[in-house]
Amino acid sequence: MVKMFKEFPGVEWIKETGDFIKIDESKCIGCGYCLNVCLAECFEIVEKRARVKSLEKCMECASCWYVCPEDAIVFTWPLGGTGYKSDWG
Amino acid sequence: MDQEFDVIVVGAGFGGPVAALICAQAGLKTLIIERSENVGDKVISGLTIPFYGFLFGPDFIRDGNPPIERPSDGIINYIIKDIEKGDIEIDDSLRVPKPFSPVFAFGYNTYCKPLCEWEVRKAVDAGAILKKSTTVIDVIKEEGCIKGVITDKGERIRSKIVIDAEGSKGLLAIKAGVREKYRPETISLADTYDYIMPKEDIDKIFGYTVKMCWGWDEQKIAPPLGYGNGLMVWPYRNSLHFMQDQCLKTNGGPVPNLNKLFKEYHKNITEKLPWWKNLVAPRVKLRARMWAGFEIYVGLNKKLRNMANHTDGMILIGDAAGLESTELCDGVPAAWFSAEIAANVAIEAIASNNTTKSFLAKYDRKIKNHPIIRWSISGRNRYNLRTAQKEHSFKKLRKYIHNGWGLGALTHFMTSFFKLLLLYAKNDPTIITKWIRMFFRYYQNWLYESYEYSMKREIKQITSKKLKRIEKKFTRYLRIMDSLLISLKKREKLLSVIVIPFSDSLNNIMKKSLPIFEPIYSFILKLLDRILNHFSIKVIKFTEYANPLIFQN
Repeated sequence: MVKMFKEFPGVEWIKETGDFIKIDESKCIGCGYCLNVCLAECFEIVEKRARVKSLEKCMECASCWYVCPEDAIVFTWPLGGTGYKSDWG
Repeated sequence: MDQEFDVIVVGAGFGGPVAALICAQAGLKTLIIERSENVGDKVISGLTIPFYGFLFGPDFIRDGNPPIERPSDGIINYIIKDIEKGDIEIDDSLRVPKPFSPVFAFGYNTYCKPLCEWEVRKAVDAGAILKKSTTVIDVIKEEGCIKGVITDKGERIRSKIVIDAEGSKGLLAIKAGVREKYRPETISLADTYDYIMPKEDIDKIFGYTVKMCWGWDEQKIAPPLGYGNGLMVWPYRNSLHFMQDQCLKTNGGPVPNLNKLFKEYHKNITEKLPWWKNLVAPRVKLRARMWAGFEIYVGLNKKLRNMANHTDGMILIGDAAGLESTELCDGVPAAWFSAEIAANVAIEAIASNNTTKSFLAKYDRKIKNHPIIRWSISGRNRYNLRTAQKEHSFKKLRKYIHNGWGLGALTHFMTSFFKLLLLYAKNDPTIITKWIRMFFRYYQNWLYESYEYSMKREIKQITSKKLKRIEKKFTRYLRIMDSLLISLKKREKLLSVIVIPFSDSLNNIMKKSLPIFEPIYSFILKLLDRILNHFSIKVIKFTEYANPLIFQN
């Protein structure tokens, strides 16, 4: 199934990606860096720990993975044929 | 798919298909695995591919008809001193002069998807197999040697060599134990907007030039120079590509709230930057917004630069090998060069039945000795903008911009360029005329949107005696040039005693002579402007109506 969002025109997201970004809660220190760099607002802080709110607008840039000072974020690719797609890159 | 292949190429971006095509042409059983549903779905860049990518890249690109959106003849740098007062300095010194421009382009602006699709179709035509919608999640490792890949569907596909063209994240190389994750200081996040704009407006407002903006952090126009980056606008055929990018972090600094800042910059740019506000804004419509991360400063970090780019049974190319340009933020030429080198080493390795790390080290040596790759991953002008910002030194800001995206680029680019040019010309002197024909053909293709696999329009044919005469002259002059170059090749002494040492010191010569030469050069161009314009129009007309066959290699 394909989804689009008004704030990100020209991009489609194909569902059934699998959990391709995970946060190891035992490592997270709640610094919020992942929230700072995520333009799709995929994360939220709950009880001083970051957690994945939704990956439905994720563009797989992996910025969250790069900036996490505790290596608490596990980043993999979505399943084949899913995730974002655009003709205008 | 439990078959066995000679070569598996992971990723159908810019580099992967080149490697696959060369391997398939050599008769190797080649598989390309791409994680997206359609080739190019996930390639986000927005780019000008510099001319040297086409000159020194694979023959099939130089001699082919790849889809391009608009040739680019130079850069206009807007150095913003004070946005509120409209105090903006312009550096537009890096331009192909007329009458060469716009036929002889500085680069070609393209959308990623059609170009990647074009490359993949070429590879498939050559016999490579394309497997889409498949994510490679790991490698098959046996006794320390890579023997293939494992996909998200649980398939184990074996091969003699894996060419990793996965892109900048390098997840597969990390899994294979070849490389480590990059530091956030080396990664830039590129926030990209695609706008539709009528072609005639782009022709008038942009012509063939890329616009770049640089400003102080506090003005929040171009993304912070403190993070070493800027803002670029590329004109395409019927659209504009707008990109602001900045590093995720500076050394020792915090991670800024990019989500908030990018929105703020974009608002300021579109509302305060005079040429955007007055000329562009009334004529554009937003079509897409997307973003991507790329490893801009990996080349400047010794440890990261020296991370392995191969192991037993595996070679990494392009962004996966950390070959993103530190200055132009362009990874395509290096992806093409490295893909070609990797494919040739893989062919040799398979032929000699030796795919060990020590044999594949040949690839590493060739990459490290490649003059343009070496130059491209060591330029510090963009990074140095941080110093200008820290010291709030306009003099430094102007200097680094001029050296990076102005005529000053000649002071550090010429030696690498000329060295490679000599090497290519030494192997095949007729390559110079092939390059000339390429520029004409590309421009004609652009005019008529006539690219392979998507012929949009028939090329206008007019039969005039004058045109036929010029066509004949064009062909004859190129033939004369070929014979001259072939005769020069025989004078090896001349090459080794004069030309090669001259190329070694070209950068220094440019450094010393540019301060004197540049004002004279600009003065002459201004003085001759009308005459040069007149000739430029003639060259364009000729290219428009000439028989396409005379531009074929």
